[in-house]
Parts: sequence; C-alpha cells; structure tokens
Amino acid sequence: MEDAQIAALLVRRCVAGDAVAWEEIVQRYNRRIYNICYRFAGSADDAQDLTQEVFIKMYRTLKTYDVERGAFMTWVTTITRNLLVDHFRKTKQDRMTESLDGTASEHEDAMPLSERIPDLAPTPDTRAQSQQVGEVVQRALTKLSPDLREAVILRDLHDMDYRDIATVLKVPEGTVKSRINRGRAELARLLQRTYKQVM
Amino acid sequence: MAAESHNDMQCNEFDALLSDAIDKMLTGPKAEAFLAHGKTCAVCGPLLAEAEIGKHWLEQLVEVEPPAMLMHNILAATVGIDTARMRGAATVPVRASWFERMAEWGRMVVSPVANVARQPRFAMSFGMAFFSLSISLSLAGVKLSDVRHADLRPSAIKRTYYETSGRVVKYYENIRFVYEIESRVREFKRATTPAEPAPQKKDNPKNDNTSGQPDEKQQRNYSQGERQVMLAGLSDNPPVVEFANLATLRRIS
Repeated sequence: MEDAQIAALLVRRCVAGDAVAWEEIVQRYNRRIYNICYRFAGSADDAQDLTQEVFIKMYRTLKTYDVERGAFMTWVTTITRNLLVDHFRKTKQDRMTESLDGTASEHEDAMPLSERIPDLAPTPDTRAQSQQVGEVVQRALTKLSPDLREAVILRDLHDMDYRDIATVLKVPEGTVKSRINRGRAELARLLQRTYKQVM
Repeated sequence: MAAESHNDMQCNEFDALLSDAIDKMLTGPKAEAFLAHGKTCAVCGPLLAEAEIGKHWLEQLVEVEPPAMLMHNILAATVGIDTARMRGAATVPVRASWFERMAEWGRMVVSPVANVARQPRFAMSFGMAFFSLSISLSLAGVKLSDVRHADLRPSAIKRTYYETSGRVVKYYENIRFVYEIESRVREFKRATTPAEPAPQKKDNPKNDNTSGQPDEKQQRNYSQGERQVMLAGLSDNPPVVEFANLATLRRIS
C-alpha cells in the first residue's frame, strides 16, 4: 500500500474517532514537521512549540482534508508553512536587531558566527565538525528571506518536488524554481562573505 | 538579465533551466546550450556556481532528532492521551510513591460505587435522603456551621451527651416540682375552706321542666358544678316583704 493510501486510511479512521489512528499520524509525521519548523525558525524551543501548534491545527481541521485535492503530506506541509509564516510575522521585530555576527540563540555563550568559521577546518573529531558546520549553515539559512528559505527547505531538505512546493507556497512552479536557485545562491554568498571576513 | 542572449539562449531561459541543470536533469543540446551560456554570461555563470555551492552547503544539514517528549505533548494537547505507554517511550518509568499507590487503590474501590451512584435513580434516592436528613437536622436545631473539629473528639462527644441528658432530666424535674407545688396548694386550699351546707330539698316542686329531661337528670346537671357556690334558693311561696321605706331597703342591700 502506498503512503498516500495509508495516510488517507488513517485520516478516515481518525475522523471516525479512532484515537489510535491519530497517534499513528502523529508518529509518522512529527519528525518531518519538527525538522521543517526547526530549519525555518532556527530554534529547538520554537520548533517544538510550532510542531505542537501544527498538530493541534491539523487535528481540528482534519475533516476538511480532501484526498482528491492532493497528498496528505502536501496538506500537512501547507499547514506547517502557513503557521511558520504567521510565526515569522509575529517575531519579525525581534529578528531585525540580530546580525550574522550575533551569537546563536541555542547557545547563548557561544562565539559569534564569524569567529567560528575557522573551526570548519578538518579536525580529528569529524562528528563535532559536522555539527559545527550544521550550526553555521543553519545560522545562515535563517538569514534568508522567508520566501527563499521556505522554498529551499522544502526542496533541498525535504526533497519535495516542484509541483508540490508550488501547491504549498501557492505560487507557479517557475517561481518556485527561481526562488530555490536564488535561495541557494544567497546562502552561498552569505557563507562566503563570512568566510572571507575571517580570512 | 532577461533580455541578454548568449549562444542562442537567453538569461530567462537559463534561469528556468537552472534547477533542472543542478538536479542533473538536463541532457542533449539543451544542456550544451545551457553550459555555453553559463560560460559566457557574466550574470548567469556566477549564479550557477553560487547555486551549486549553496546546494552543497545545504546537503551538510542532517535531520535533527525531535525531543523525546514531543509526541507525548502533541497527543496530550490534542486528544488528551497521557498513556503509560507514551510516557514509557519517552522517559524512564518512575516508581509510584505509597501515597499514589493508595490513591490508585482507592480509585479502584470507589469508582465502581461512584459509577453506580451516578445513575439517575440512585442519584435521586441520595438526593431525597440528603434532603430528609437536612430537614430533620434543621428541625432538631442542629446547625452544621456550629459543628467544629473539636466537637467531634470522643471526649467532646461524651461531654455533650452528659450535658444534654442533664438538661433533659432537669427539665423533667422542674415540671414535676411545679406539679407537686400546685397539688399541695390545692390540697391546702381544700383543707382550709369550710364545707358549705347542702341545698334544701324542695317540698313541692313545680314542674317547670322545659328541657324534656327527667327531673333527677336535670338536678344532676345543675349539681355538676360541685364547687359552684349556690347563691340563693327561693321557695315557691316567697314571704311577702313589706318595704318600710327606701332608706331601709338601702341598708339591707
């Protein structure tokens, strides 16, 4: 049975009042939604809160899901994206004062991003290095405009196809492709600029 | 960028094909034209390079692990499921304290009774019983607000019992004392009051009985008031009294 069919069956059971079906839905999708939220918000706490909000909204509007109109995953991602955009608008003022040289929100006592760039050089502990690279890229990712960021996250981190991304973002497929490319290029420029400053 | 053209490909075309090129989906003459345009165009060439670098950076990001309690929190926030299974999956099971175990045991015992009591007919019976009890207590003068914790100690209950029984005995004794006093006074009066002469018997009674009852019965009726004072008894032939004058009459009266 395909994923879409399984999801449709679970939704039907859940709408009929089957709590086990809902538990299964949460189990199947919580990881993916949490990752989208984490990559977009850049904070584990915010990601946790947003993931919960997504599921609460999903639970309340599950009856409105129509199998004919698209895959369940696309529907779930649309809910997630809408909540993330709302969250971004609410917290816009907080981020306006931040800069790339600011410390990461997850680690208040951490060094500024620009000072941590040299740590990208090969070290004996490859795992720690990978983690550091991840933090640097994540930090740069949160500096992208939300339009570019969401397109990049859905394409490069969640392997969604362009058509589904277009459905989620409610823009034409061509616009999706353009945003993804501009997002990638912007990310590269941000990281390159920081790297050059340190060098 | 949109209007520029290099090697039969315009920049907007290049932009549209950029994603496919990075995804390695471009083949044949289209791919050749794309690469040729990228090499010659000062705008599109760097864009292709930066996009590839950016994609490479993004590939460094690995999937993050959600918090252990996330699923439990979601279920608690949506359907209110707070099962031991979910808790067990997220945390190490904690040994319940003796108080929790007692509370759990109490719930197991009480809940079946409570479920039965919640049925409408039983609830109605309990309601009526409570109503009757409250009415009885209020009639007996018992106020629940007066009942204190101190009143429920065994010594306090004992004292209350003796006080109440003492009050009842005193009340009874008082009534008895009053009755005894009254009866003594009555006896004393009876002893000090002289016996009155019995009324004279009529020699020729005139039958003026209009009640329709026999004569003896009628007399008995009259004599029912044993202690009533007979003021006067007139004979059938009263003596003729001659009034000398008004002054004499006044003196007599």
